[in-house]
Amino acid sequence: MMERKERKPYWKHTKWQMLASVVPFLILIIVLPLYAESLNTEKFLGFPLGYFLSAHGIVIVAIFTIASFVNRQDAIDHWHGAHEDT
Amino acid sequence: MTLTSRTRFVNPRLGTYFGIFTSLLVGLVLLLLIFEQLGISEGILRWVMLLGPLALYAGIGAAVPTNEPIDYFASGRRVPAGYTGLGLASSAMGATGIVAMSGVFFLIGFDALWLVIGGVGGFVLMGVMLAPFLRKFGTFTVPSYLGRRFDSRAVRLLSAGLLAVPMLLFLAAELSMGAYAASWLSGESTALMMMLLIIAMIATFVVGGVRSLNWSGSAQAIAALLALFVPVAVVAVMVTNFPLPQLTHGPLLRALVGQEAAQGVPIVDARSFTFLIPDQSHAAVAKRFTAPFGSVGSATFIVATLTVMAGVAASPWLLPRVTMTPGVYETRKSLGWATVFFGLTMLTVSAISVYMRDFMSDLVREHGASIPSWMQQLVDLGFVQVDLSNGPLALTSFKIARDAVLLSLPIAAGLPDVFTYFAAAGIVAAAMVAAGATAVALANILAEDVVGGASWDPLPTEPRLWLARIALVGVVVLGGVLALLAPTDPLRLMFWSLALTASCLFPVIVLSIWWKRMSAFGAMAGLACGFGVAVLTILAGAADVLGLTGPLAGLLGIPAGTLGVVLASLATPGPSRNMLELVREIRIPGGEVIYDREMRKLRLKQRDRT
Repeated sequence: MMERKERKPYWKHTKWQMLASVVPFLILIIVLPLYAESLNTEKFLGFPLGYFLSAHGIVIVAIFTIASFVNRQDAIDHWHGAHEDT
Repeated sequence: MTLTSRTRFVNPRLGTYFGIFTSLLVGLVLLLLIFEQLGISEGILRWVMLLGPLALYAGIGAAVPTNEPIDYFASGRRVPAGYTGLGLASSAMGATGIVAMSGVFFLIGFDALWLVIGGVGGFVLMGVMLAPFLRKFGTFTVPSYLGRRFDSRAVRLLSAGLLAVPMLLFLAAELSMGAYAASWLSGESTALMMMLLIIAMIATFVVGGVRSLNWSGSAQAIAALLALFVPVAVVAVMVTNFPLPQLTHGPLLRALVGQEAAQGVPIVDARSFTFLIPDQSHAAVAKRFTAPFGSVGSATFIVATLTVMAGVAASPWLLPRVTMTPGVYETRKSLGWATVFFGLTMLTVSAISVYMRDFMSDLVREHGASIPSWMQQLVDLGFVQVDLSNGPLALTSFKIARDAVLLSLPIAAGLPDVFTYFAAAGIVAAAMVAAGATAVALANILAEDVVGGASWDPLPTEPRLWLARIALVGVVVLGGVLALLAPTDPLRLMFWSLALTASCLFPVIVLSIWWKRMSAFGAMAGLACGFGVAVLTILAGAADVLGLTGPLAGLLGIPAGTLGVVLASLATPGPSRNMLELVREIRIPGGEVIYDREMRKLRLKQRDRT
């Protein structure tokens, strides 16, 4: 169980991790479809690039975001002693 | 000190059991394929494909009876991350997501992507901002969490009442989509199939509650995903010699771009605020597949994406599922799995629509004025309407029903009929997962928060479980009756339910974790404002007063909910020390699950009394 004085630094760390995970993701999902039309002239794996980035690209970015969040947040939990006992 | 240990609690034989189920399902499909070639009558094949899997799910559901609240309401907290993620993804998408979206992708191409992006974004938001904290709190329903967080029965009741609306809408949508697929498969009327689905759901879920929901739901999700992936993988091998349709439809898409230009499919440039999503009627291909913002403007694309993100993240039928994992770390991982499964399925759905457009475009290129046998079959089934009067065929001479695109692909590719029946059975399975998740969540809300909400102490075990079971039967029947009495486009119902959830619940539940200053009045104001503004916007959209229909209602609803929370919390006294301590505890993953601790203290208190 975490010490009382670790609570504030733990939450600060967690809050910044949340912003670091969510904000780049939000920016990407707004920007990528807006640029799709001009990117569609290029190709990648046979796909028009704009479509590929908006569909497959965003799915890959989402999986990467949440996977890195899970790992980072677990590291933060262990650093501050806030992790669960298993 | 928490007592849960992952290795001790999770059933190590889950993989074996689901391997057996998958083998049974695959065996059934192979057997029916053989029987089809042997000339067994079509009616028998269809009925076996419909009833066989339903019997399997009911068998799994009935094999896990429960008589403890932690088993009935939270599956014993023994569901590992992969299965939770599978259940989350299939409950979010449901049959509507699979069937209607394949049609929407076919008709408007790129412009359908906001639902995909919104869905995966919703899971990212849920995983980062909501799920781990709700798992630490550990209550069985969302209104219970809100009530205990703010120590207010009023919040509990209000949230239970307001959340029932989007849940009923989604339940009706899923049941009607499931009944549509079942009635296509069996040839009987929709009403009869709705009754069959209701009986199947009751038989599957009532014995074990959430425990049955979880395990038979995993089976149903596996069936739905197989039924979605296998036919399109076969088509992918036929067309591109490589079985991964999500990746191989790339060169096909580029060829399609060229053909669409040659055949005169329009490039439409929509104004920023257009939002034209196809409904269930027959419609021709509206625009080129990869050209963005033809039916949906760029501004509405973004608004709709954000609303769906908030709606999925705060879905009251998805959030209780995160409390079934063995721990907070597993919950975070389960959201990762949910993102994987949801993204994969949606990419498959878009691949299906690309292959379908490819078949249609080949038809126009090669056949001139006559139509091939597979198209005639689609016309006979009522899926497509052809206009032969204007000379040579163009892509726009064909009007296809939005909800028939998924079932049309195996027919267009010339696959044996059993593949189409399998796709229909998969749709029924997907409908059962989503409808089951919603019905069980709503029934638990009714039993725990509405009827049992008068006191913080829950009812004694047996009456509590029986109340929940009776509520489940009632909710399922009510959903079926609603779906039959008020037949609306299921996709539109899903949009409304997402917009309502996003406006009503998302601001309240996110701020309840991330803002310590929030008070009970803030919660009530947020719920009421968000819900009210969203409903008014949807009604105004339906009456053509304001053009913000469907998911765009979130444009006004989410800010209204947030403002309600912030202003009401700042205007009322701050939270007490107890509540602040509670919030600090919610934010730390370690330590005992808060709800389990409350129940443990309650049991000790009751033991002391006797």
